[in-house]
Amino acid sequence: MSARDELKEMARGFRWGRRPLVPRSAEPFMEEREDEGFPTDWARSPAGVFARQAILQGFMHPLVKGELSLRVYGLDRLRDVRGPVIFYSNHSSHLDATLIMCTLPDRFQRTTAVGAARDYFFDVWWRQAFTALVYAAFPIDRGKGGQGAIDKARELVRDGWSIVVFPEGTRSSDGHLQRFRHGAARLALELEVPCVPIAIVGAFQAMPKGKWWPRRGRPVVTLRYGDAIEAVPGETHRSLSVRMQDAVAELFDEDRTSWWDAIGRADRGETPSLAGPAGSPWRRTWEGTRPVARRGEPKAWS
Amino acid sequence: MSTLALEYFRSVPRYVGARTVGAKAPGLIAGPLAPLRLAQIRDPEPPKGREGWVRVKPVLAGICGSDLSTLAGRSSFYFSPLVSTPFVPGHEVVGELLDPSDDLAAGTRVVLSSVLGCEARGEDPPCPNCAAGDVGRCDRVTVGHLKPGLQTGYCQQTGGGWSRQFVAHRSQLHAVPEGTSDRAAVLIEPFACAIHAALRARIEPGQTVVIVGAGTVGILTLVAVRLLTQPGRVIVAAKHPKQRAAARLAGADEVIQPQHTAKAVRRVSGAVKLSPERGQDFLLGGADVAIECVGSRGGLDLALRTVRAGGRVVVGGIPGAGADLTPLWFRELELVGAYTSGTETMPDGSRVPTFDLALGASGNLPVLEQLVGATYPLDRWREAIDHAMSAGKLGTFKVAFAPQD
Amino acid sequence: MPRPGFVLEVDERTPPLIVHEGEGYRMQRFPLGTRVVYPPDPLPGLRDLSGRIGRALLEPTGDAKPLPELLFAGMKLTIAVDDISVPLPPMQLPDVRQRVLEQVIELAARAGVDDLEIVIATALHRRMTPEEIRRMVGERVYRSFWPDRLYNFDAEDKDGLAYIGQTDMDEDVEIMKRAAESDLIVYVNINLVAMDGGHKSVAIGLASYKSLRHHHNVHTMLDSKSYMDPRPGHSAINDSTIRMGRLLAANGVKVFQIETTLNSRTFPSQLGFLNEREWEWSVKDQGLMMAAKKANDLAPPRVRREFYRRIEGSYQVTGVHAGEVEAVHERTLANLHRQQLVEVEGQADVLVMGIPYLGPYNVNSILNPILVHCLGLGYLFNMYRNVPLVREGGVAILYHPVPWEFHTIHHPSYVDFFEEVLADTTEPKEIEERYEERYATDPWYAHLYRTSNAYHGVHPFYMWYWGAHGRDHCGSVIFVGGEPKTVARLGYRRADSLRDALEMAKDTVGSTPKITYFHAPPIMIADVR
Repeated sequence: MSARDELKEMARGFRWGRRPLVPRSAEPFMEEREDEGFPTDWARSPAGVFARQAILQGFMHPLVKGELSLRVYGLDRLRDVRGPVIFYSNHSSHLDATLIMCTLPDRFQRTTAVGAARDYFFDVWWRQAFTALVYAAFPIDRGKGGQGAIDKARELVRDGWSIVVFPEGTRSSDGHLQRFRHGAARLALELEVPCVPIAIVGAFQAMPKGKWWPRRGRPVVTLRYGDAIEAVPGETHRSLSVRMQDAVAELFDEDRTSWWDAIGRADRGETPSLAGPAGSPWRRTWEGTRPVARRGEPKAWS
Repeated sequence: MSTLALEYFRSVPRYVGARTVGAKAPGLIAGPLAPLRLAQIRDPEPPKGREGWVRVKPVLAGICGSDLSTLAGRSSFYFSPLVSTPFVPGHEVVGELLDPSDDLAAGTRVVLSSVLGCEARGEDPPCPNCAAGDVGRCDRVTVGHLKPGLQTGYCQQTGGGWSRQFVAHRSQLHAVPEGTSDRAAVLIEPFACAIHAALRARIEPGQTVVIVGAGTVGILTLVAVRLLTQPGRVIVAAKHPKQRAAARLAGADEVIQPQHTAKAVRRVSGAVKLSPERGQDFLLGGADVAIECVGSRGGLDLALRTVRAGGRVVVGGIPGAGADLTPLWFRELELVGAYTSGTETMPDGSRVPTFDLALGASGNLPVLEQLVGATYPLDRWREAIDHAMSAGKLGTFKVAFAPQD
Repeated sequence: MPRPGFVLEVDERTPPLIVHEGEGYRMQRFPLGTRVVYPPDPLPGLRDLSGRIGRALLEPTGDAKPLPELLFAGMKLTIAVDDISVPLPPMQLPDVRQRVLEQVIELAARAGVDDLEIVIATALHRRMTPEEIRRMVGERVYRSFWPDRLYNFDAEDKDGLAYIGQTDMDEDVEIMKRAAESDLIVYVNINLVAMDGGHKSVAIGLASYKSLRHHHNVHTMLDSKSYMDPRPGHSAINDSTIRMGRLLAANGVKVFQIETTLNSRTFPSQLGFLNEREWEWSVKDQGLMMAAKKANDLAPPRVRREFYRRIEGSYQVTGVHAGEVEAVHERTLANLHRQQLVEVEGQADVLVMGIPYLGPYNVNSILNPILVHCLGLGYLFNMYRNVPLVREGGVAILYHPVPWEFHTIHHPSYVDFFEEVLADTTEPKEIEERYEERYATDPWYAHLYRTSNAYHGVHPFYMWYWGAHGRDHCGSVIFVGGEPKTVARLGYRRADSLRDALEMAKDTVGSTPKITYFHAPPIMIADVR
C-alpha cells in the first residue's frame, strides 16, 4: 500500500478529527475513565508557579484594583499560620477566586490551588488551561459523590499545597449564604489542617451571578481574613461545618460594625445570620443587592 | 436545587463556524463548534400555581435528526421565535415520574409526547387544532403560561430529555406497558411520528410507495406503512449496507441505493426516465406515494422526481433547504408535511391518538428493541453527538443518552 | 483492575488492527463480523520480588524441605537454568534467573557447599555465548563460576551422560551424568508458556537425543492436542515427560524446582502501543505507531534486525514458587492461566495469525522459513485448550515475509534440511523415516553443536514436527506477503493481501467463512468451547 493509501486507511479507521469510538463488543470491557480528565499538575510546577504569580501580580491584581474599590483586612492573622491550610469563603461571584488568589500573601499565593467545578471550568481545553494556570485549579465534580476531587485535594494537601474551596458549592443567586456542604469540613478533619475563613463582602453587588465583568463605578469590595479554625479532637464534620459557617458570619458582622462588637455578639451567640430575610425571594435579592456603603477612612481631624 | 443538563445556547460565532466549516470538518461540530454545554442548571420548575405538572427523570433520551441539524446550524431561522434559549434538547424520552400525576403513581415509566400544546400551556379555550386533537398543529406554542417552545426540548422553562430532570404536563405523558424495555420505549415517540407520516400519506391499497432513507425514521416509517396500510409494493432507498439489511428485514419489497432509485421505480411502474443536464434523473410516471425520511435536499429531490403525476410526496422530517420544486408544479404533485404526531383518523372513521397506536403496536415489534445502537452518559456528550452524526456510516440507527449514568 | 481477555467482533466502529509480520507489522482492516481474540491485561507484578524469592526458598510448596535444609557442606550440587529460549523477548536486566541464582548460591555458600556447578539446560539447543550467559546470570555469578563451573550442557558428550532406565512405556531416560549423580539439582525456570516447566525442566532440558526421540517425534506431536495443554490425556508429549520425570525421581534424582511466571507486558514502553487495544490508542500512540512503522519500512534490513534484536520485554514477575516439582508446577500453571487464558466460543473456518519476529530458537539470530513454520503452525496454532481455534479442514492464514534467509552459525543443519529434505518431501512422517537418523548422527553437525553455537543436527526435524498437528489439522495454509519460492518449498500457498487469501480460501471454506484473528503477541491461550 502506498504511503497515501496507508494514511487514508488510518484516518478513516481511527476517525481522525472525530471522537474515538469503542467497538460494540468491546463496550463491556472499557476502562473506567479516570476522573481526573484534564491534567492540572503542570500548572503547579515551578514554571507554572512563576507564570501564575506573574499573571496574578502583574495583570490580575492591578486589573482588579482598577475595576473595584478593593479593601483587604485581616492578613495579619495569617502571620503565624503555617500551611497547608484550607481557605474557604462565601461564594457569590466569579470574582471570589480571583480576589483570594490576588490578595494572599506571597508564601501562600505560591502554593495554593483553587477547587473549581469541573462541568463549568473544565469543559473546553482553553478554559481548562486558563483555569489551571491562573488559579492552579483542580477539578471538582459537582453532583455525583466527587470522590476524585477529594482524592486530588488530599494529594495536594499532602504535598504541602493549600487549597481554596467554596463550601456552598455554587454561587449564591441572591447574595445570601447558602447551606454549607460538608466536603471541606471532612477534608479538614481527615488531613488535620486548619481552615481559614474569608468573608467577601460586596462581590455580589459588584459582579453577581450571570455577569462576567464588574459594574461601573468602582464598587466597593472587602475581603476579610479570619482566624484559622482547628478541629478539636472528637469533633464531627457537621459541627466543624457549623463552626466554619459561624466564622464567616462573624467576619461579616465585623465588617458591618467593628471587630470588638462582633466578638461580643459571637460570644453571646447573637451574630446576625447570613441566610437572608424570610419571605418571598424578591426580598432576599433586594437585600442582597443593597449597595455597600462606601466607607471612607475616618478623618483624623475634622 | 440544580440538575446536570446539556444546554443549548445561542452563539453566533459557533453558528457561523458550524455552517461554514461544519460540512468539511464534521468533527468540529461535536467539538469546539458545538453550541452545547454540560452544566448544573437550576431545576426546571412548572409554571407557578398551575396544575398537572410533574417532574420526570429521563432514563433514555434519543438524539434526533432535528437535534443534530440544530447543532450543525442547519435549522431554519423559521424556528427562532418558536424556541426559547437557552434550552435543554431532547424530545424522545422514556423516563420515570418523580411525583405522582393524577392517575399515574410516582415511579411510573412514561414516554413523552413532546408537543407543548394548549392544554399544557393552560390555554382555555384551546385553539381549533388542539380542540380537534391535532396537538402537533397547535397555534399557541408561543403563548400561555410557558415560555415559547414548540416542544419539550425546545423550551427554556420545561427542561428537556438530555438532562437528569425536567418537567412535563400530564397531557404529555403516556405510561409504558410493562413488557416494553427502555430501549424500545425511547423509540415510541419517533415511531408515533412515523405512524403519523404513514397515515398522512393516504396510501391506497395496491399503490407503489417509495421510502427515501432507511435510518431510524425510514425504518420506522416502513414498519408503520406495513402495519397500517396495504401498499402494493414498497421500495426503500438506503445509503448504507446495514440500513439496507434492516429495511429488507422490516418488510421492504425492494431495497436499493439512492442513485439507482429512479431505475428501480421505472422498472416497476413502466415509466419513462429522463436525464437532465444538471440534477438527478426523473421519471414521467412512477410511484404513487413517496415518503422522504432523510431530511436532505437530495432526498426531497429524489422523492419529487420518482413520483407519478398527481402523486403525493410526504415530507417526514425537517426538509433540507434548496430542493428543486419544479416537479411539484409540473407534475401537479401534492406535497404533504408530516410533523410529530397527534390524532389519526382510522379507516372506520374513529379518531385515535397516534401515541396510543404506537404504544399498542410496540409490544409486537422486536425491531424496536434493536434500533438503539449505543447509549452514552451525559458527560460523554461529544462522543454521542459525533456518533449520531455518522450513525449511518457506523451501522448504528439510534444513539441515545442515558442521563442517570 | 486488569481486564480479562475477550473476543471482539469487528463492526463499523473498529479501527484497523495490528498484525505482526516478522520484523514489522501492518494495520489490517478485517471484514465485518471477524472475531478477534484479545489477551487479558497484564497482571500487576510482585511488589517485593527479592523477598518473595527468599520466602519461596524457605517455605517451599509441596513435599519438600526448605532449601537451606537440603544444602550441606561436602554435597554435590548442580544448579540447572533455563536457556535463552525464554523469555521472549529477552527480559530487561536484571533477569529474574539472576535474582534467583544469587539467592540460591548465597544459601549454598552459607551452607559451606563446595562442589557447585551451574549448567545451562540447553538439551539440543545451541550453546549460549559467554555474553549471553553473562547477561542472563549477572556479573557476580559469571565472574565466580565461568568457565569451569558455569557451562552449557553438552548432550553429545557420551561420557557426560548417565542412562537411568526405561519408563513403563519403554522410553529411554538418559540425562547429564553430573546431574544424575548430584545430591541435589536446583532448577531455575521461567515458565513462559504452559509447555514449560514441571518435569520438562530436567527430563528434557538435561536429556540426550536417546531420550528426546521418544517424545520429539511425529506421532507424539500428532497426539498432542495441544501441547500447551498439560492436562493428562491432552498432550502426549507432556504425559511422556511426566513419566520420565517420575522415573528420575524414583531413581533417586532429587530436584528442587524453582519456577517463575511473568505478566504479559511484552513490549517496552517505546513500543507500548503494541501492548494495548487499538481503539484505546491515544493520539500519541497512533503517531508513535505510524512513525515506528515508517521508520521500520524505510530502514535497511540490518538496521531493522538490530532494532528488533535489541527489544527487551518490560515484564514483571507475577509469581515465584519453589519445592517439589509437581506441586510447584500446579501453582505455576494456575498463575499462568490467570494471565493468559481467554475463553472463546466455537471454532472458526479461517484462522488468521500474525507471526512475530521472535521465537524460542532465533534469539539474536534469524527466523528462517522452518522456524516460521514452527512458530506459526506449531506454537501459535497450539495455544489452545480443548479444540483448536479453527475447525478441522479449515484454513490458516499467516502473515510473514518468509525470506529465504538462514543464520549459518546458529542453524547450519537447517540450511541442509531446507535444501535437501524439504525439496524432496514435506510430509513429517516421511521426513522422520527417511532423514532423521542421518541428521541426528551426523558427526559434522555434532561437532558444530559441541564446539560452535549451532543447534543440533536433528533440531530442524523437531521444528518440522512441532507444526505437524497444525499442518495436519488445517485443510489449507496461506501466507500473506510470503516469498513465493520459499513458501512453495514449505508446501504452502501465498497471497499478497488478506482479500486475496480469502479468495483463495473460498474453495475450502466458501465465500462467507467465520474468521477468527488471534491477536498475539502478547502470548495467550484460547480456551475454545
